[in-house]
Amino acid sequence: MLQTSNYSLVLSLQFLLLSYDLFVNSFSELLRMAPVIQLVLFILQDIAILFNIIIIFLMFFNTFVFQAGLVTLLVQKFKGSIILAAVYLALSISLHVWVMNLRWKDSNRFVWTNGLQTLFVFQRLAAVLYCYFYKWTAVRLGDPRFYQDSLWLRKEFLQG
Amino acid sequence: MEKKQVRPPRVLPPVPSAVQDDIPLNRPKKKKSRPKNTLVSTSLDGLVQAAVIRPSEVSEPPTKDQAEHTETPAQRKNKKTRLLPELETSLSQKKASSPTLLRNENGIDVEPAEEAVIQKPRKKTKKTQPSESQYANELGVEDEDIIADEQSNLEQQTVFTAPTGISQPVGKIFVEKSRRFQAADRSELIKTTENLDVPMDLKPSWTTRDVALSVHRVFRMIGFFSHGFLAGCAVWNIVVIYVLAGDQLSNLKNLLQQYKTLAYPFQSLLYLLLALSTISAFDRIDFAKTSVAIRSFLALDPTALASFLYFTALILSLSQQMTSDRIHLYTFGNGSLWAAGIEEQILQPWIVVNLVVALLVGLAWLFLSYRPGMDLSEELMFCSDVEEYPDKDKRIKASS
Repeated sequence: MLQTSNYSLVLSLQFLLLSYDLFVNSFSELLRMAPVIQLVLFILQDIAILFNIIIIFLMFFNTFVFQAGLVTLLVQKFKGSIILAAVYLALSISLHVWVMNLRWKDSNRFVWTNGLQTLFVFQRLAAVLYCYFYKWTAVRLGDPRFYQDSLWLRKEFLQG
Repeated sequence: MEKKQVRPPRVLPPVPSAVQDDIPLNRPKKKKSRPKNTLVSTSLDGLVQAAVIRPSEVSEPPTKDQAEHTETPAQRKNKKTRLLPELETSLSQKKASSPTLLRNENGIDVEPAEEAVIQKPRKKTKKTQPSESQYANELGVEDEDIIADEQSNLEQQTVFTAPTGISQPVGKIFVEKSRRFQAADRSELIKTTENLDVPMDLKPSWTTRDVALSVHRVFRMIGFFSHGFLAGCAVWNIVVIYVLAGDQLSNLKNLLQQYKTLAYPFQSLLYLLLALSTISAFDRIDFAKTSVAIRSFLALDPTALASFLYFTALILSLSQQMTSDRIHLYTFGNGSLWAAGIEEQILQPWIVVNLVVALLVGLAWLFLSYRPGMDLSEELMFCSDVEEYPDKDKRIKASS
């Protein structure tokens, strides 16, 4: 059974990482006095996304549903979040690489192209969706039914 | 009734001079008390006797006793009658042997010990055991039987009390802590469990579900704030833009010069607020559950419309990122970035988009304020659990 304190700790860590992600997405364009600052911010952001994915998977492994072998049930339920997180990570890394590649020599240079703009829009949209789905998943995993045998689980098992 | 009448002499202290007199008194006592014990618990009696009579003693008496115990009451009655003449003969034999007893070294020890039997039964048994065995050998089965029975009878009392003493509840209780049994005082344990009851009562009130729910509510509060703040910011932004641009957007250069420092920070703030508002709006319609979200869209639910408006505003706002950066780099730009006459071409769509964004977020805010308390996520996320919990409560009650 998941302890309340443990869950609170994990949830706060997840929200901290999400907040950092949102902060970097919002203000990284402003913090470009030196290319290194942006580079560090981007690296940390990618690590934060990766950490968040690892944490959510660890939370999945901790559930009774997973331990009972009903992995498909979890995957079905949270496939949106998993896919979005993966897509967002890929988009973020590619955007960061592209932007840093363009701005490395002069951070205040106008670097925008239509391609970069498109990627930027998709990355930022994915960020919002990822944030929403990740938050939804993290909060949903606080449900005690995932950590114990229940009628609900048996029903789900029979349905699946 | 006869048994009870016979009992009083047993309680009385034995007369030291008349050992032989004691025996006849004890003998019927024994004979009548024996069935009493056997009737109560024959198996226990057998066990106790087996425990009492030690290997040093003659092996016959216990077997005899056990045989007696296993006998039916009718057989016992017959035996009683048979034993009466035996008793007489044994008594006469004892009388005859008592002088020899006195002469014997062991026999001298026996008599005072027998006197002390009632006062200190345990001590006595320890002292008389070796002597008794010899005594029994000398006197034969019947005499030995009498004394052994006597002793066993007395010892029965002591032995009966002894196990109960051991099995009596001790003040200590052994609790398994970290794979070791540790002695803990019963009273302390009761105290600790009493103390534990308080957090135990509190614990169910703060589960992981409650943590999730509280986090969700905190985020909804942040969302509430961001909806209003975003609407205000967007309106302020478009007002500032139109004021700086002048009548019919005639003074765009002024706008660029004044607004270039604000453009990018505002763009960033707008993204932050739009992201928060969109997530909050999605939360309200429970966007993750697609069927529910689509149903609300089709039903033209104001919250669903608001979330759609926020998402559209977000896309529009993000699409202006390039222009915002261009405005931001106005002073840094060379001729190619802001060529003469290009301002209106670039700024007009930007202003329109900003106006649309302001309208969208303002409208979304209005839609949300139509039903501010609506939160499908919270309802759907946890209402299904509530259905299941009454059954659980019932099960808990039934088990307790």
